[in-house]
Amino acid sequence: MRHEDRPTYRDPLDLLRRFVPTPLKARYRVGTLPVLVETNDFSLLPAFPLETDAENRGAPALEWKLIRDPDAQDTMQSPKVLKTPSLTMIEMGPSCLVGIDHERRELLGFIGANVDAGTYREFVLPFLCLVTRNEFSTDESATALSGKKEGILDRSEP
Amino acid sequence: MARTLRFERHTLPFRTDFTIAGTRCLIATNSHQILSAAANWKPAATCPDGATFEMEVIVDPSMDADPDRSTHFRGLRHLVFAFLPPRSFVTYDLRRKRVHALLSSAAATDHAFWNALLLPITIGVLGTTIGVAPLHCACLERDGAGVLVAGVSGAGKSTLSAALAQRGFAFISDDWTYLSVSPSGLTAHGLSAPLKLLPDTVRFFPQLRNFSPRRSLNGEMAYELDPGGSFACRVKAATAPRHLFFLERARTSGSSVVPCSPRFVRDFFESSGERLADELTDAKAFRSEVIRTLSTYPCWTLNSGESPEVTAGALDDFLREMHHAA
Repeated sequence: MRHEDRPTYRDPLDLLRRFVPTPLKARYRVGTLPVLVETNDFSLLPAFPLETDAENRGAPALEWKLIRDPDAQDTMQSPKVLKTPSLTMIEMGPSCLVGIDHERRELLGFIGANVDAGTYREFVLPFLCLVTRNEFSTDESATALSGKKEGILDRSEP
Repeated sequence: MARTLRFERHTLPFRTDFTIAGTRCLIATNSHQILSAAANWKPAATCPDGATFEMEVIVDPSMDADPDRSTHFRGLRHLVFAFLPPRSFVTYDLRRKRVHALLSSAAATDHAFWNALLLPITIGVLGTTIGVAPLHCACLERDGAGVLVAGVSGAGKSTLSAALAQRGFAFISDDWTYLSVSPSGLTAHGLSAPLKLLPDTVRFFPQLRNFSPRRSLNGEMAYELDPGGSFACRVKAATAPRHLFFLERARTSGSSVVPCSPRFVRDFFESSGERLADELTDAKAFRSEVIRTLSTYPCWTLNSGESPEVTAGALDDFLREMHHAA
């Protein structure tokens, strides 16, 4: 689906786009770390192997919510990473805004219309994976993840 | 190449606090220039009971080379991102009541940026989590009694506010009013945001010819004036609201004031407020409680097909009669 074909989300009481529906959900296995990805755009689903192990269908260790934002039409800028003890924010202009809450184990982000599938796959996704891995590298799940060299995050790095 | 900026104690050595809309803001920054901007607000000691939020500010001269953007807001769950001109990026963590701002040098030294943009937006975004409910209405004061003026967008709240201010009402706000709760009732705060008048209102306010309209936050062209300066009206920071009016435009001449029900008040504000994230249950409950309390105040619909000046006169007369009757 081309970006211009997507129905435009309009809610005058949701100017921040908090409630953009994210009907696409998929589970991935990142090393031993189960990750649930929610999005409104197929092209934002990572090209990782899906989680297929029924035994690991419990609560995900990490949740990603990625919104394709057709109204953010700027070109991406060099990333700025803002780090606080609880959060990591990544800003590449309005076309790529991501917040990672360490405690809640959430990655929440908006990806602009001009970020095509190739740019997303080759640059944005690996960057998000890298940051995510760094943020969670000291906890239990990520320790397990780091023990598995062929983890998906490792494979996704540039 | 990614650049990392750390909001940590040792990177933010300058500290101060101030009050805004009855809340206390603790600020930490790497720039002493920010301290002078914060000095415009009352010392925090005058507000010992208010809720507290934290604002951490890095002034980063490299931001001056970023593209100049208009305002851009996005939010998911408890996180909100904002690009604010000139060349600044601000994030809000509504769970932890924290603001992290990356400011250009131009923004850091621009008091108008702080007073008319960053701080009002901060209270608008964080407000319901820190005991201040932003409601879409104007607020003025007559004889010590706060008068809230609500209405749908385009009803003429700002124009009527300007006309009331010219009749001697004290001006608190013309678009968004921030309501907090105290044991004695509600307090309505304004945040020194500019008075915004659309270009066609120049026919009602000839003094606007001395100014030029410019593109405002929502993209429309408007005169944005300092109400106490260029518009020369009396400005107050806060008041105790006593009356609420819903302004409606009539196609025919004349003005009428009729009572409206608490249910109407609740429905109007509940259905016109920003949708809050599902996880912000306390914030939602707080806003609903403010609206419920407000709905118990005397409330009328003001239907007018007259000019702002005549409508302001009708409202003034109505309040005067009420005052005498009381």
